[in-house]
Amino acid sequence: MQLRLTCLLLLATSVASAEDRAEVSTTLFAEQRDGGQGGLTVVHPQAEVGTDIGRHVTFDLGYAADAVSGATATTFQVDATTAATTFTDLRHEGRLALGFQGRRSRIVFSGTVGTERDYITRQVGGAASIDLPGRNTTVGLAYNHNFDITCDKDQALLMPLERRALTGMDECAKTGLILGKDVAGMTVWRPVSIDTVQATLTQNVSPTMNFQLALYGQILEGFQSNPYRRVRIGGNSPQEHIPDTRARWSITARVNQFLPALKAAVHVNARFYDDTWRVIGGDLELAYSQYIGNALLVRFRARAYQQSAAKFFKDAFFYETESTAGEYFTGDRELSPVRSAIAGAKLTLITVGEENPVWGLFDKLQFNLKGDLMWLVPIAADRPEDNPAGIDKQFLNGNGLIDAVVLQLGLLGNY
Amino acid sequence: MDWRSFSKLVLFGVLVGVLAMGCGRNAVRASEKQFLADQVMTFDNDPQESSAEDHVLTNREGAAGGKGAGGGGCGCN
Repeated sequence: MQLRLTCLLLLATSVASAEDRAEVSTTLFAEQRDGGQGGLTVVHPQAEVGTDIGRHVTFDLGYAADAVSGATATTFQVDATTAATTFTDLRHEGRLALGFQGRRSRIVFSGTVGTERDYITRQVGGAASIDLPGRNTTVGLAYNHNFDITCDKDQALLMPLERRALTGMDECAKTGLILGKDVAGMTVWRPVSIDTVQATLTQNVSPTMNFQLALYGQILEGFQSNPYRRVRIGGNSPQEHIPDTRARWSITARVNQFLPALKAAVHVNARFYDDTWRVIGGDLELAYSQYIGNALLVRFRARAYQQSAAKFFKDAFFYETESTAGEYFTGDRELSPVRSAIAGAKLTLITVGEENPVWGLFDKLQFNLKGDLMWLVPIAADRPEDNPAGIDKQFLNGNGLIDAVVLQLGLLGNY
Repeated sequence: MDWRSFSKLVLFGVLVGVLAMGCGRNAVRASEKQFLADQVMTFDNDPQESSAEDHVLTNREGAAGGKGAGGGGCGCN
């Protein structure tokens, strides 16, 4: 049996083509927190290995983690910082994909599982793409379904205004890492079903320009509140309560224009987003890539984004003094009106093994270093003239000039 | 014009544009794809960078999705 397995492994290795690839990267995200609460820090390592088995089959294996530490706004009120608590969490995610490719087409089936203290992800999906005759047009279609579960207090019989938020002391029990286990009278795992579909059309427009259009749709069903977040309603602080169903869609257009005389490229990316919670948003991104010699590539980019509030979002002062917006109430910054911007640069060092493999193994090796600066500006959802408390302190994020930074270090090899 | 009417108008305009471009399916011959094959012309040419960025943005913004399925460049699977 062991011999047969060894033979199979040797066979798989021998037929692997030069398209095999390996990538590792680590991303650091650091967000400022107000009121002496320290900062939110996320370290996100990723590793992926892909191999071609023969001419028609590909196999990919990936792992990612999130190590999160910092303060969280467990209470949403006029001054969120006074009730912020510190926390740490660790999330692990594994991914497996099996692909089949022909001369002009490709189909990939994938499965992903992720686990952390209070949320479990189980996703299956598939993506297919085909080059149309002429090989100037590529059409792609992808679908994923998530069977996720999230931990909450066992309080289904209570009215929304009576429900208490989950705390770090509540036990979220699991069996086999990816199955939730209810603790009677204490905690339950509540389902979140997510269906995501995306259609993509990529078109070569000229020898130096291509264009991509992506249509995205998603339906979420189930418990979508942050179980830890509370909202101050009068003298009471119940757990956040938002609708169980959300349908969302977006359309994105992207253009790349190569500039042969400069050995550079310009990239433009625009997106429009809409959903049934009436969050409407849009973003515009401009980027410029420049080769310096054959081995160095530099990219600069700037991105601006703005969104409107969800229909049930109110500024904290109005929830506290006027009550809820219908049956719902939330303290989620992602559901508030907000404006944000990003400016950043990426440096890529490319080494190609002309005659001898790089490090004795790789046909091509790329080293990436990326840095982004982020700004976030909350906008008043309700009448600012009637809000003596203002909105500066209703979220935990700081009001400094730069809100967050992202640093990424990566190594990508083809062998 | 409200946002919903505006979004329908944008959608219609983009679809018309794409259909118009699709008419020139032989506009770029295989021998002319040198620049299109460059890695900077491939959408999402660094998947780990794209997924890490999505991860950050979905925790700061209400919008989601829109990144394509990658590809582009020379127009060959």
